[in-house]
Amino acid sequence: MKTSFLPLLVTVLAAGLLAGCGRQAKDAPDGSGRPVVALVVKTLNNPFFIEMQQGAEAAASAAGVQLIVQAAEREVDVERQMQIIENLIQRKVDALVVAPSGSREIVPVIVKANRAGIPVLVVDTRADAAALQAAGGQTAAFIGSDNYEGGKVAGEFLVEKMGGRARIAVLEGIPGHETGDARLRGFRDAIKDSPGMVIIASQPANWERDQGYNVFQNIMQAHPTVDAMFAASDLMALGALEAIAAAGRTGRITIVGFDALPEARAAVQRGAMAATVAQDPASMGRIGIEWAARILKGEIPPDEISVPIQLVK
Amino acid sequence: MNERPALLQMQGITKRYPGVVALEEVDLEVRRGEVHFLLGENGAGKSTLMKILAGAVQRDAGTIIIDGCISELRSPREANDAGVSIIYQEFNLVPHLTVAENIFLGREPAARLPGLIDRARMEQEAQQRLTELGVVIRPDAVVDDLGVAEQQMVEVAKALSIDAKILIMDEPTSALTNQEITRLFHVIRTLRDRGVAIIYISHRMEELHRIGDRVTVMRDGRHIATRELTSTHLNELITLMVGRALTEHFPKVAVPAGEELLRVEGLKRTGVLHGISLTLHRGEVVGLAGLMGSGRTELARAIFGADPVDGGRIWVRGKEAKLDSPRAAIALGLGFLTEDRKRQGLVLGLDVTANTCLANLDRFSAAGIVSPGQEMAVAKKLTADLRVKTPDLHQLVVNLSGGNQQKVVLAKWLCREAEILIFDEPTRGIDVGSKVEIYQLINRLAAEGKAVLMISSEMPEILGMSDRILVMHRGSIAGEFSAAEATQEKILHCAVGAKAA
Amino acid sequence: MKIPNRLARNARQFGTFAVFVVLCAVISILTPHFLSVSNLLNVAQQTVINAIIAVGLTYVIISAGIDLSVGSILAFSGVVMGQALGAGLPLPLAIAAGVAVGTGCGAVNGLLIAYGRLPPFIATLGMMSVARGAALLVTDGRPVSGFSESFRWLATGEVMGVPVPVLIMILVYVAAHFVLRRTKFGRYTFAIGGNEEAALLSGVPVRLYKLGIYAVCGGLAGLASVILTARLNSAQPIAGLSYELDAIAATVIGGTSLMGGRGSVVGTLLGALIMGVLRNGLNLLGVSSFIQQVVIGAVIIAAVLLDTFLKNSKR
Repeated sequence: MKTSFLPLLVTVLAAGLLAGCGRQAKDAPDGSGRPVVALVVKTLNNPFFIEMQQGAEAAASAAGVQLIVQAAEREVDVERQMQIIENLIQRKVDALVVAPSGSREIVPVIVKANRAGIPVLVVDTRADAAALQAAGGQTAAFIGSDNYEGGKVAGEFLVEKMGGRARIAVLEGIPGHETGDARLRGFRDAIKDSPGMVIIASQPANWERDQGYNVFQNIMQAHPTVDAMFAASDLMALGALEAIAAAGRTGRITIVGFDALPEARAAVQRGAMAATVAQDPASMGRIGIEWAARILKGEIPPDEISVPIQLVK
Repeated sequence: MNERPALLQMQGITKRYPGVVALEEVDLEVRRGEVHFLLGENGAGKSTLMKILAGAVQRDAGTIIIDGCISELRSPREANDAGVSIIYQEFNLVPHLTVAENIFLGREPAARLPGLIDRARMEQEAQQRLTELGVVIRPDAVVDDLGVAEQQMVEVAKALSIDAKILIMDEPTSALTNQEITRLFHVIRTLRDRGVAIIYISHRMEELHRIGDRVTVMRDGRHIATRELTSTHLNELITLMVGRALTEHFPKVAVPAGEELLRVEGLKRTGVLHGISLTLHRGEVVGLAGLMGSGRTELARAIFGADPVDGGRIWVRGKEAKLDSPRAAIALGLGFLTEDRKRQGLVLGLDVTANTCLANLDRFSAAGIVSPGQEMAVAKKLTADLRVKTPDLHQLVVNLSGGNQQKVVLAKWLCREAEILIFDEPTRGIDVGSKVEIYQLINRLAAEGKAVLMISSEMPEILGMSDRILVMHRGSIAGEFSAAEATQEKILHCAVGAKAA
Repeated sequence: MKIPNRLARNARQFGTFAVFVVLCAVISILTPHFLSVSNLLNVAQQTVINAIIAVGLTYVIISAGIDLSVGSILAFSGVVMGQALGAGLPLPLAIAAGVAVGTGCGAVNGLLIAYGRLPPFIATLGMMSVARGAALLVTDGRPVSGFSESFRWLATGEVMGVPVPVLIMILVYVAAHFVLRRTKFGRYTFAIGGNEEAALLSGVPVRLYKLGIYAVCGGLAGLASVILTARLNSAQPIAGLSYELDAIAATVIGGTSLMGGRGSVVGTLLGALIMGVLRNGLNLLGVSSFIQQVVIGAVIIAAVLLDTFLKNSKR
């Protein structure tokens, strides 16, 4: 009968779709006997993590490992990132390299990986040390830049550039994010000895470009005298840049960003931005994979591997 | 009558649905320039057959020949191209568009620039069609502002504009006043004389001889007979439809009236009801007559607490009551069988049992938990009692025929053991067999000491079933008659606003 | 006669079940890691949050409504409970507070819809923003974290080998199925969604029950937040972003009609499991997250297509 035929049709279609995905994925993991390392980043629609992915991919073949890269659809979706890691543990990957979406929220799943005997390397954002200790979890290493230091470099640069006098707006990341908090602490510490450097507004734009645009537009409305801005990430800075352009104030507000995205580098070069802090995500990805391979051969990494910070100006 | 050539031949049409054969080898032959009635009880297969002809439903087997050409009719569009047009009981008009826009919907005359519509030409052509029909409707009027009869004329004009050779009309008079019906019949005769074949579905037997040429009777998905109307008696057709002879049309049994159950005094709703007073006694059937729009349904809704009122008092069983919601009314033993059972009476997606018990679920539940056993037992008894034709008690009511659906609504109020029943057009769109059963039920309810207020637009029904008749005109009671003194003329007189005789 | 009829009526559910089984079969052929007890429990745990929220939405959607605010309500309930725990409230009280906040938000939705006569879409769209804002406000935007082991047991514990969240989910589903099929509340939910006017004229206290339906939906979002918070060991004010869409998807895949009046809790569970299995399977296969989104979207569309076809072929 017609009715029983249709569900079947849909099922076959869905199965076909899946099988297609399966085939596409087949040549990556499974089968060859080389160890499998999974890189789980926050999201793959942020250029920062795409650079990290590219660095990891370049390192994978040289290190003799197979690489799987996965991420949640949204940078803030901690539960989805947890699910992905749980699934990779089920898949029995040999090592995990993780950029946590939430410093504390990542802890339970690190404990799970520990129990399954899978080493976890943390990149970019630290897992919360206290929470990790309380839960009895362990990470093999942290690979990243010192965000506090990066914020400090940005602050020092701005003091020098503005001659010690500025009315500054700050765009924060998602509140409670270790990464963003550290950057802001560094920035504030760098300017606190210059009484002419005044933060007139500090608002979260949640790491997002469109929010950077909107929030900065509002700040310009409330504080027309603003003449400098520090954004905890380039995406937010680039959003703000558009808002400035739309207001016809390009070049009149000194902007310092963070992450040195290619687009931000270009903006620095043409003078729309003053500087951006380079974190080198590609190196983080590369070092993460290299150390994962070495751990699997029995080597023991240092607790912290610092990826140097540069100021692109 | 001389033999005219067959315009449409449907041969061996068969349609099966899972578990049901809707049509079994049905033949239908319609001639050029005739009004061909299609008769049958609800569920006989008339609608399905017509939907197949209109391309809305696909047949499983059979041939359709229109004007000598075999036609597949795979879609409404193909049917239109073959010259078939259908006017459903619920019109297919877009309410917020104008008359001209509706008539040419999907076939708008193009202006010089592609994508633009030549408005002037469209309205001019629409005007022409309407004039041909002899009706006065502005082509730029918005359809929503038109009356039912005018909307129907727009549908007819739309059919004409595609040069329909075969026009199907499903219950075209069900919502019209007598005057409007006369006008519609005039239009139908005009079309017939121009060679259009009209297939006409109606439950109103009196229309057969007024407008029909031939009639085809269907029953249980089969073709039973096709007759010339000039040589056929009404009773014979009813027998063919029902498959058994109906002895009595209105089996009225008079019951002596008892104590007063309901008293309404000065019920007001601004602009709708102007101080209505009435009483209902045990064992009484009170007919409520009046033209469309006279406020009968509004009165019923106001008594039942479904619409707010601006004044008036109500007593139930001698005690003053505040009926401000259907829930309060039901608690006092009122029941309301609505005019539109699909929109207001039934939850179509629920089964027979759930609908039967909907108004009295407390009776079958303890601590909020429903007992399916008790529910089923009562539903079983009531459906057997009312002779509801359903494969089982878990059948969704959407799958039942109109007459059986109406019986389920009745079962709901019997289940509630309502004593004061308001029936709004209880037999509208229902086949003859079910009608008689519903009349018998009304008798039984009266005999059991219940009171029935019956709203009806069918004069014979009002005259045949009521102990007392109230006539409404523009929101007021214009007259009251006992069964003995009431005549069709007197009632009509009141209904149109002339002084009561 | 009776059994084939029942079969025909439940055709949609059997269809969903068939899709689920075939999906599992295909994935287990493609990867050896899928069909193990630990992975299946893993999938079940990952389905819990969506599945519990989707129960509430099933009720709402059967009543011909919609609730867009469940994701935000989840966040708000979670942080209130987290703060209550942080303030030293006993565990059961804190959990009750979280669920109560969810129920309260849902009840406000219900009030606006039933008594304020707002369209459900608008009322819950508003609540989506209000509850999210409230969650950020009470926490100053920061997550609340670090809970006791006894609380975390709700996510990490096991009873006879079954993880506690899965157990809670099963209990919720058994109860929800019973309520939908066997109680006045369930019957009226169908009646209101199938034909609100007929229900009203049959004496159903429509507004009261609508209020109840949205309150239950909010309460279930609150319950989901308890499990999510225990699972992440953190209550985030930005938790549950777009969870309402996942829950609507599960409900729709499970065969509940967005037009109201038709649907089942069992179907919704299957819908949530299908989504969970798909995500798990695609992770196991190492498929890129972009393709995953495409596949899940395709499944939602296929499910609704299936629905439309079934409906048309019945007519």
